Amino acid sequence: METKVMIVDDNEYIRESVEILLQTEGIQIVSSASGNECLDQLETGFRGVLLMDIMMPIMDGWDTIRQIVKRGLYEGNIILMLTAKREPDEKMEGIQTYVTDYVTKPFNPMELLDMIKYYATILKNENPCHDSP
Amino acid sequence: MIHPNIVMIGVSTGGPIALRKLFSDLPPLNAAVIIVLHIPQGMDFRIAKGLDAVSSMPVTLAEDGEYLRERHVYLAPGGFHLMLEGNSRIILQEGPRINFVQPSVDVAMKSVIKPLKNAKIIGVILTGMGKDGASGIEHIKALGGITFAQDKESSAIYGMPKAAADTGAVDFECAPHKIRKKIAELLEGSGK
Repeated sequence: METKVMIVDDNEYIRESVEILLQTEGIQIVSSASGNECLDQLETGFRGVLLMDIMMPIMDGWDTIRQIVKRGLYEGNIILMLTAKREPDEKMEGIQTYVTDYVTKPFNPMELLDMIKYYATILKNENPCHDSP
Repeated sequence: MIHPNIVMIGVSTGGPIALRKLFSDLPPLNAAVIIVLHIPQGMDFRIAKGLDAVSSMPVTLAEDGEYLRERHVYLAPGGFHLMLEGNSRIILQEGPRINFVQPSVDVAMKSVIKPLKNAKIIGVILTGMGKDGASGIEHIKALGGITFAQDKESSAIYGMPKAAADTGAVDFECAPHKIRKKIAELLEGSGK
């Protein structure tokens, strides 16, 4: 699989768990411990599936997404939110278009793998030269 | 112009996986299927192609001015509102975001008119954040349509389906595989 995954979470245990899970499947993964680290990775060219924690200090997942969009770094990525709850979050309003899916913690490893593989496949789809109206 | 049967699906966060479950093993329908997924430009064609890979019906990005065909799935492109003209033709328009989104499910569903003769209108609200689609589903119900909302257990985010169900205009609340089965039953033998 060529598509890369970035885990963005301030919790080291979560980052390592996801790293081990994906590396076992041969999926390339990079880790970011904060929203700022995530933005740095995107600025230096990372494109792939972002697995983003919502609750992070300084810059939470929502603000990180706002920065991704504001800086023009969204194209070529798919963002999946990592959350402890599945309840609607008002902070998501206005940016829900950029949040493709939710992954609830604690996550089922097989379900997470299936989801990441599906979105990785979608990311690899080429633009068929659709013309806008 | 003869009105086709129409299935209109509104969905947001968690949508690609929910749509994959809905369309896997769904037989070709005697209906034009329109999906309004909250999605940015640049991602829409990827989702369409991903869904096309599992669907028995061709899945394409909706184009402005295109006439609806049954046994075909149209995905609204990001950055435009999708509307139907006379239940038979797709109109894509730029404009302000509605319910924070573009395309908006409410805009698409409210553009549906009462169908001629016995054509069926089916409205579906799947997983997603916010309330987009709630007034749209009320509109479809008021036209005599049949309405679905994804249940809480199977929704990644039980926001849009709950808002739709809270209107009292939803006929069936269930998981995507049950919605798939029911829609196939409703449209069985209703082709022209």
